[in-house]
Order: sequence, then structure tokens, then C-alpha cells
Amino acid sequence: MTRLRYVGSDEGGSNLAYVNARVRARRAALLDEADYRKLIRMGPNEIARFLEETEYEREVNALGARHSGVDLVEYALNENLSRHFRDMLDWADGHLYEQIARYLRKFDAWNIKTALRGIYTDSERAEIENDLIRAGELSDAQLNAMLDAANVEAVIEASSGTMFHDALVEAFDAFEETNLLFPLENAIDRVFFENLISGVAVDAGPAARVLGGQRLSTGSPTDIYHEFLIAEIDFVNVRNALRIARSGAEMDTADYLIEGGRLFDAAELARLVRNMDDLVAVIRESRYGDRLSDALNALEEAESMLEVERAIDVALVEYGDWLGSRHPVSVCPVVSYILAKELEVRNIRAIARGREAGLSEEEIREELVMP
Amino acid sequence: MAEDVKPTRKNLMEIDDRIELSERGHDTLEKKRDGLIMEFMEILEHAQTVRGDLEASYEVAQKRLNMARAMEGDVAIRGASAALKEHPEITITSKNIMGVVVPQIESTSVKKRIDQRGYGVLGTNSRIDEAAAAYEQLLEEIILAAEVETAMKKLLDEIETTKRRVNALEFKLLPDLYENKAFIEQKLEEQEREEIFRLKKIKAKKERQEAASSTE
Repeated sequence: MTRLRYVGSDEGGSNLAYVNARVRARRAALLDEADYRKLIRMGPNEIARFLEETEYEREVNALGARHSGVDLVEYALNENLSRHFRDMLDWADGHLYEQIARYLRKFDAWNIKTALRGIYTDSERAEIENDLIRAGELSDAQLNAMLDAANVEAVIEASSGTMFHDALVEAFDAFEETNLLFPLENAIDRVFFENLISGVAVDAGPAARVLGGQRLSTGSPTDIYHEFLIAEIDFVNVRNALRIARSGAEMDTADYLIEGGRLFDAAELARLVRNMDDLVAVIRESRYGDRLSDALNALEEAESMLEVERAIDVALVEYGDWLGSRHPVSVCPVVSYILAKELEVRNIRAIARGREAGLSEEEIREELVMP
Repeated sequence: MAEDVKPTRKNLMEIDDRIELSERGHDTLEKKRDGLIMEFMEILEHAQTVRGDLEASYEVAQKRLNMARAMEGDVAIRGASAALKEHPEITITSKNIMGVVVPQIESTSVKKRIDQRGYGVLGTNSRIDEAAAAYEQLLEEIILAAEVETAMKKLLDEIETTKRRVNALEFKLLPDLYENKAFIEQKLEEQEREEIFRLKKIKAKKERQEAASSTE
């Protein structure tokens, strides 16, 4: 298929205008609030039927013979997500490709973890394959090699050539010692996050500060993107620090702290996770304090992390929306679309699974994070 | 059947011994039954509490799992659950409650810290933690319920058996023995009366013979 390309002179050989135009078209096809209102009132089969008349038609039809009900919805959503994100990688060139790929490697991380888990628990090949989300960079041949692996070591071997391989080899001793996948999974996620932030060069000039409650409009696209990644890492660190502090687990900070954020350093975090009150106080005082304040109150009252998770999701989605409107022809609208698409998939799945589990419309609505 | 018993003094003594033994056994079994019932009532109360907790924990666990499946997707939850191959260890020992052997179930590694659940901390979130914690709690409740309810069922079986034994002694064995005893006593008395009568007859006959010989 011949594809029309904007042959611009973007730095790094990026075809920003072309990709942004395609992404804008894709973004316009996302479900709107009225669609969600309809979906919330539907059962799982009606949702599958509804999706047949949307962007998800191809996947629902393709998977309809193998799955039904909520499973059909979930697999179709994952398949559609994979197709859309792979399309973006196909469209993008040069530096833009690298920026998108860095973000989408989270699916490579997911797929390697899925293969490791499947092989570790002797699951059927077809079962593992069903759970893959082929939205990253790993080729089908690489994924198949992982699926065909005889043991965990062979999966690690099959990951050679990816950025995860060295870290997995390093973590393998810890896996052998404990016979738990924990060190391998952490190694994969750490490589993903650290690679994500390390590859973004910050432009000169004042950094855009958005999540700190102050929005400066002077940031360049890369600058804003960099800020977003820092915020994402900070949020992951906040979430994990609160989880560790609540569970009382004695863990090395290297097991849960991702470098690259602004909120914590390892020594401080090691001290904070031993005292929940101090940790909450530090988060309250931070640039994210205002956004997370209500959620932290809920955490202190009900000892549930769910409010914090939701507040983090809302903050990232709002940031994603804002990101999309800052620089119309840059990597920002692309990343914003990735976030919006992931959110859509997540919301539809939540509605379908929620309806199947018998949750009320009100309960489902509370859990949704709307764009 | 009283008619099957030979009405001898030896049998009467044997029956007396059996009656004494049976009455003592009856008293002991009655005490055992009452003791078991008291133990059962205590365990029943405990079992009701445990069952209530179990149902509440199940509701919570199911809700958290549903919420996690809804928000993270089935694929993610299945993946996180597959990250651990090791199963909790269950050890069963036994204890004796009034002669009834009931199990004592002890479990290890049911409740886990976040770093012991297998899945990585960085790539998961607290919805998965909360579903896992709720199911760990549920599993502990199930193990406790299994212990208490098995003890309860065993006690119930033993109460039933003891009650049947008490009833058999009270309504069958002892009445039969009393009947046999009465039968033998009656027969022996009758034999005694016959013997006296016979002796009197012999004595009278002898006296008659002596009178006749003296007349001659």
C-alpha cells in the first residue's frame, strides 16, 4: 500500500505532520461521553454488538468465532489496541519513531512478563499467546521464540537483542535463588521506565510545569513530554512507596524505586516507607500534593489505596489531554492519543467486566476515568 | 427373648453382672453424650462465627477481584496470579475431644508480603494487591472453617453414635436383661416351690409308709 507522507524537514528525520494528521483522524474516532452513557446500560453481549459498529469491528468479527461475551470484548480491545499502536510505529520515522517506540515498549515488557509467567507455570502455549498484546516492537518471530521456550532461562535467551535482555540475565540469579518471578518482572519494568526517561533530551529553557499546579506555556514539545514522563515516574514511585509502606515489607528501594523522578531519592524513600505518616506528609508537601490530597485523606481514613490509584489515573489523563493541545505538530498529540486510546480500552473493558460482575451503573461510573 | 435363657442360678448371676455393667456403661455413655453436646454447642457457636466471617470475606474478595478484573483486565489479573507457582503448605495434626479425634489444620505462607507474591511491584498496582490480600484472607478463613466444621461434624457423628448406644442400652439391652432376670427369678422360685411341694409329698409318702409298716 502506498502511503502519503509529509516530507518535512523535521529534526531527526521525523515525519511529524503526517503522523499527527493520521493520529488526529484516529483520535476523532474515539468514543465520546454519549457512547459511554449508552455502554454503561448494556450487557456484555450488547457491548460486543455495539463495538461491531465502531473502530473495533474488525477485531470483534475476527475473534467472534473463538470467544464470546466479556472475553470477546477484552480480546477485541487488546487486539485493536495492538493494531492501532503498531500502525503508529509503521507511520513514524526517525526520531519520532524512537519516541513512540520508547513509550510502546511497555507492551514488549508486558509480553515478556506474560511469556515468563506462562512458561514458569507450565501454561498451554495457546493460553499464553492469547494474553499477549502485540502493540510493541517485538516481532512475531521473537514472541513465538518466547512462547516455544522450554523454561524461564530459554525465555530470557529468546529476549536477546531487546533492551530487556541484559537486565534479565542479571536478575536471573535472584530468580534462581528465590524461585519467584519478582526479580525478573521488576528488572523488566525498571528497564522500561529508565529507558523511557533517559532517551528524552530536554530542550534548553524553562521546563514546563503542569502537574505542580502551575502551567508554563514556554516549554518545547520535548520539554513538555519530558515533564510528563517525570510525572508518570513520580506517580509510579508514589503508588509503589505507599503500597510498600502499607504492606510493611522490608524491601530494598532498588526493588520499587524508579530512577528519573523528582519526588524521591533512594535514601529518603528507604526512610519514608518505614513510616506511613511521614510518607503521606512528604507527598502532601510535594508538587502533586494538591491533586492527591483528597485521595490521601481517603487512604488515611479507609486504608484503601484505590482512591490514590484513581487520583493518579485522573491526573495522568488530564495531563494527557492537555499534552494533546499544546503543540499540534509534535510528539505530544501522539503521546496524548496513546493515553486516550489506552483509557478508552480500559473504560470499555471496565464497563463490560463490571456489568458481568453485577456492579451497578453507579459503581461502574465511579470507577471510570473519563477523558 | 426370655424364653431362650436357661433359668439357672449361674445365668441369673451372669445376668446380674451384665445388668450392673450395662447400667454403669449407660451412666458413663450418658455423661459422655452430655459432655459431647456441651462441646458441640461451644464449637457450633464458634463455627457460626467462622462461617459468618468466611461469607463476609468471600463477598469482599469477590468484589475486589471483580473490581481488579474490571479495571486491569482479566489478562492482567491472570498474569499476576500466574507469577507464583508455590502453594501454601497445609499441615494436619489431630487432637482428642472426649475420645473424638478431630483435625487441627495449620497453614503456612497463606498471607504474603507484597514481595512474596511473585509479581513485580513496578508493573502492578494496588487493585491487584488488594484482590490478592482479600483472597489470602479468604483462604485463611476457609482453612479455619474446614478445621472447625470438620470437628463439628465428627462431634455430631460421635453424639449420634453415643446417643444410639445409650438408647440401645436404655430401651433394649437393659429391659431385656431385666426381663431375663425376672424370668429366671420367677422360674427359680417356681422350681423352689415345686421342690418344696415335692419334698412335702415325699415326706408325706414316707410318713404314710412308716405308719403302714408300724401297723403291720
